[in-house]
Amino acid sequence: MSGGIVWLHGDSLSPTDPALVANPTAPAVFVFDEPFLATAQLSFKRLFFLYECALEAIAGRVGSIRRGVVVDEVRAFAAEHQALTVHVTASVAPRFREYVAALRAGGLQVMIYEPPAFVMWRGEPPRRFSAFWRRVAAEALQAGNSAPSLPATEEE
Amino acid sequence: MQLRTDLTTREEQAAYLAEALAGLFQGPAQPSPIRGGRRAALRRLRAFNVHHYARTRNDVVQRGVSMLSPYLRHGMLSLAEVRDSILGRFGITPDTEKFVNELAWRAFWQLVYAHLGDRIHHDIEPAKHKARVPRRRLPPDVTAATTGLVCIDESLRELYTVGYMHNHARMWVAAYLIHWLGVDWREGADLFYRHLLDGDPASNSLSWQWVNSTFSHKPYIFNRQNVERFSAGTFCARCPLAKVGCPFDDSYENLAWRLFGVTLAELEGRR
Repeated sequence: MSGGIVWLHGDSLSPTDPALVANPTAPAVFVFDEPFLATAQLSFKRLFFLYECALEAIAGRVGSIRRGVVVDEVRAFAAEHQALTVHVTASVAPRFREYVAALRAGGLQVMIYEPPAFVMWRGEPPRRFSAFWRRVAAEALQAGNSAPSLPATEEE
Repeated sequence: MQLRTDLTTREEQAAYLAEALAGLFQGPAQPSPIRGGRRAALRRLRAFNVHHYARTRNDVVQRGVSMLSPYLRHGMLSLAEVRDSILGRFGITPDTEKFVNELAWRAFWQLVYAHLGDRIHHDIEPAKHKARVPRRRLPPDVTAATTGLVCIDESLRELYTVGYMHNHARMWVAAYLIHWLGVDWREGADLFYRHLLDGDPASNSLSWQWVNSTFSHKPYIFNRQNVERFSAGTFCARCPLAKVGCPFDDSYENLAWRLFGVTLAELEGRR
């Protein structure tokens, strides 16, 4: 029995994904969502961009990039690693909630990690950005300590 | 189906991915020159100089913009990381305040999406004004970037080949499609979503609704003067329609009447 797997999706496809960082040795999977993409017919540029992101995200650990039905592929990947838990970072997309519900219905435990917050906000947002900005500006303009180390200029 | 992860050059990866994802994409199997990944995101963040951002961000040619949107959209960088990096390096200035304000737009769209879900893909509010032009489907000259209008065609070509379009050009193209051509905003939003590396359901659909006035208090329109000003005149200088036939060459007062049959004051909700 392993500690679980990490499911990466297009809203959080970085080596710094919170679910990945919290589970540094867990195998990770990213799935190109076949039914969605077959309908959406995105440009190749977008899919290649995701592929490059996914390759970098899983580098250095057991990882897999797949094409198929997301829930089925995540479930199969978990089974391959005898994992009962799926670690994943939250997304606001309605499809994400559906997939989490389907994984749970299939018997897997799903641990959801929150992405870093830009500002704290609870409840319904206003209808206009100006009203939102008035309420969050002071907080948004407070520098926190999450600035990443930037590469040297000669590193390309 | 498991995909290969062992190919090292971009060319090999692109050729392989085109086969592996056959049937799931539209158009040529060409990657964007913009690279994916956290390392590329950090290089982009390092290269961004926020000085003059407030003054130059709307200039489609000068491009004082960060071009971080594809990385923010896919979580290569968080809004907080970018904010902290920029404020840490440049301090609080009018330029950094404006930049953080623009970051907040993305946070806002995400909150609206979290609240409304897939309802963001339908009119959130009634349109405040509707264009007089008859409704039509997306015309082929838009998908081919051959409208004859240099400001529109060059923006569309960049969208189709690079997967990017400057934010101000997005507003021009969206307004042109909706208010001048009579295309439903959802068709325009679909077109952008298919191509933009930063294509995000929330930012994309809600921005189109902002132009359409179904998520704002007035329709967004622009005129030739705006294009000239924010492209240093370069589009119009090369445009065959610059002398005769430019559909944007008018005052806002006249455009309000031509496009919507109302005065500018009525269009802007001042009367």
